[in-house]
Amino acid sequence: MTAKLVKTEAVVEGRTEVRWTLVEEDDTPEFEDGAATRPIGEPTPRITARARTTGSARFTVDIALPGLLEAAVLRSPHANARVTSLDLDAARAVPGVRAVIGPGEGPENGDSPLSDTPGFAGAAIAAVAADSADAAEAALAALAPEYEVLGFVTGIDEAFEKHDFLVDPTEHERGDPDAALAAADITLEASYIAPAQLHNSLEPHAAVADWRDEGLVIWSSTQAIYDARATVAEAFGLDPERVRVICEFMGGGFGSKFGVGPQGILAAELSRRTRRPVRLVNSRREENITAGFRTPAKMDYTIGASADGRLQAVEASAVMGMGSGGWAFPVLEPVKSIYACPNVRLMVAPVRQNLGPSVAFRAPGVMEGTFGFEQALDELAEKVGIDPLDLRRLNHSEADPESGKPYSSKHLLECYDRAAELAGWAERDALRGDGRIRRGMGAASQYWWGGGGPPAYAEVRVGKAARPAITVGLQDLGTGTMTACAVIASERLGIPVDAITVYAGDTSRIGHGPFSGGSMTLASIAPAVRSAAHHVRTEILGLAAEMFEIAASDLTLEDGEIRSVDGTLRQPITEVTGKLGNAWISGSGSRGPNPEGMNVNTFGCQIAQVAVDTGTGRITVERIVAVHDIGRVVNPMGARSQVMGGILQGIGFTLMEERVVDPTTGTVVNAGLEDYKVPTIADLPEVVCEFVGDPDPHLKLGVKGLGEPPVIPTPGAIGNAVAHALGVRLREAPYTPRRVLEALGA
Amino acid sequence: MQVRLTINGQPHELDVAPHRALADVLRDDLALTGTKVACGEGTCGTCTVLLDGRPVLSCLTLAGACDGSELQTVEGSTPLLERLRAAFTAHDGFQCGFCTPGQLMSAAALLERTPSPSREEIRVAMAGNLCRCGAYEGIEQAVAAAAEGG
Repeated sequence: MTAKLVKTEAVVEGRTEVRWTLVEEDDTPEFEDGAATRPIGEPTPRITARARTTGSARFTVDIALPGLLEAAVLRSPHANARVTSLDLDAARAVPGVRAVIGPGEGPENGDSPLSDTPGFAGAAIAAVAADSADAAEAALAALAPEYEVLGFVTGIDEAFEKHDFLVDPTEHERGDPDAALAAADITLEASYIAPAQLHNSLEPHAAVADWRDEGLVIWSSTQAIYDARATVAEAFGLDPERVRVICEFMGGGFGSKFGVGPQGILAAELSRRTRRPVRLVNSRREENITAGFRTPAKMDYTIGASADGRLQAVEASAVMGMGSGGWAFPVLEPVKSIYACPNVRLMVAPVRQNLGPSVAFRAPGVMEGTFGFEQALDELAEKVGIDPLDLRRLNHSEADPESGKPYSSKHLLECYDRAAELAGWAERDALRGDGRIRRGMGAASQYWWGGGGPPAYAEVRVGKAARPAITVGLQDLGTGTMTACAVIASERLGIPVDAITVYAGDTSRIGHGPFSGGSMTLASIAPAVRSAAHHVRTEILGLAAEMFEIAASDLTLEDGEIRSVDGTLRQPITEVTGKLGNAWISGSGSRGPNPEGMNVNTFGCQIAQVAVDTGTGRITVERIVAVHDIGRVVNPMGARSQVMGGILQGIGFTLMEERVVDPTTGTVVNAGLEDYKVPTIADLPEVVCEFVGDPDPHLKLGVKGLGEPPVIPTPGAIGNAVAHALGVRLREAPYTPRRVLEALGA
Repeated sequence: MQVRLTINGQPHELDVAPHRALADVLRDDLALTGTKVACGEGTCGTCTVLLDGRPVLSCLTLAGACDGSELQTVEGSTPLLERLRAAFTAHDGFQCGFCTPGQLMSAAALLERTPSPSREEIRVAMAGNLCRCGAYEGIEQAVAAAAEGG
């Protein structure tokens, strides 16, 4: 195969990245209309199920190597302080302690994660490595830090008043919003507040580093083994090929685990100094004060519309309560991109607070922005006197409203129709009731990217026993990507999924695979796997053609057999592969660029049905109908699970999850799972989930992503359902019983 | 201190410091890393193991207090556990799998004492096991399917 370098564009969570990538020539045929795609599109249990149910799945926190040292980190108890005294030597003198590093120490070429001017409660000051966790704890105590406590800011309003911006505020305008607002028949103002949601991946951030003469091996609970490798290599001045990053199994990330994190850097530095393997694992409380959060936002919308409900102008501003790091997540993207609206002005002010860094959390910005804007739209529908779904249909945009570019595919109108049908939308007013329990139904649209893109490489090998091995340079954080890869290869090879092994999560095995994020992973890797498997298929059929003296074009692979199209030949594939001895038939594949001149997006609509107890203020989500347009569905079982997960995290955001910061100390008061509530099995609603639309005709294999889409519309749909139930709108999430009762004036 | 206990049918004699949690002894001393720790303070259910048939949080259980006990962890194999494994697989009762060992242990304890639980009984018994990926629907269906008559 000839390979060439091409320049491609990919949209990563709203930011366009231009990359040079090596792409192989690809002659893999697309499916013809109506052709069998089995097992693509059939429900397939996870290939990792046995490992996950027997405890043999090895996560980063499980890695134990001979001579392993346990590391621990001294963290500031103050929101802002200067360390005035720190006894590093006393810590070094503690029995069993092998290394102690203090402020400013760290990798030669990278920033130290340790500081003597900690800017938030939880900021790292010093790190130790010891023979045991007990010895490491004793060393932390021996450090006996003293602090000069400084002033701090941990409130969005206060930070905004100070004009202390973490990144520069941005403004975006199209058309003439002032004139359009002045001329609009109807204007409406609406404000919403989104809370700080904590990721709480059950496997905390963790790393095990083993510095060897030949290079650095690092196990990392990461969503991006290649980004992790790049960061570590640069920080320590190592060639990337001398750094091996491994992430065999991973216990969730949800956006909080891109790169190697301070755990990886500190573990590597401590291993470099001691020449022993070092393990550093966050405690739950460390996780919840340092590992990131969904950025809380105060969103204000001014909407101008025609008398019949056509959007004329939207002016929106958002103040985002960033912490000590992060980027300006696209919180007003829904205003810009979901509906046809000629005049738009957006202003985003990301303010700095003395808190841990803001970090991407499943559909960062867009989920909370959809929560606000989709409710403002329902307010408009009420003012116009139009069905909320009809308002959305009326403002539907056939092309990207910002650039005018066509979409590679868009089936949003079908999503509305199908969701309405499944939810019983037409009869929704009959639900409400007038007793203590009120019911309501609300809808919200979903917009996200998810087209994926290069670089992504895959290799498929088949040996003597016809048990294929797929190698991909990605990591599976629990989404089922590895299973989907097996499904895709199975179709080309005619070999059942349960005979296939997928190797992933190791940078030493193969070139770059996509990170797990942005709903990009499967859309990126799927065509590469298919192409690699197709090359192997072609080779097997070529050998079979010689062996059976039938033209390769008259042969096919199915159910573990080589078959002639006329039905006269049926032989097990091992008839051919059995002759290989210890050799392999191997094929490689790479992901080509996305189509030029069009936008690749996912769409959807969710409808929530809620019951509100007006006596206790408790909201129960009874039912969610979720209809999404994600192109070809590779594994409906895994896809449904992704939707369930998104919906549950959306329910958590809307009803119960909120990081609370004590304004007098600037510390997080609910960093444990006793006080920070996440949904349990008792909060599980009935979920009706469907996918509409054909495979995307402009993408190889037609696959779009699904990681983010299901979480995006859930909060807005619940908010609209609560307003429908109560006739009162709640402006600030989470909708706790207290806030519900306050809104009811109880 | 000396502790004798049976783990998944195998007898063990351990010398453990009195302050050490059962979860740490299982993971670090015995390399039984199937038992996971997600909070370390008894709030998430991830580290659940069966102590004489009862589900306990191994992060809050002192290893030294388990002398003479019979312990079952996710590494074990019983007909019920195998049935649960098959049901969790068929109903996709997990995503990342980090909470799965604890979910399986809580489910096994439930079905031992209540062979045919109602949906409400499943929810009450499993409500202490958090799953951040949100696999609760599959978990509920799997437990129901692994139950008698399921």
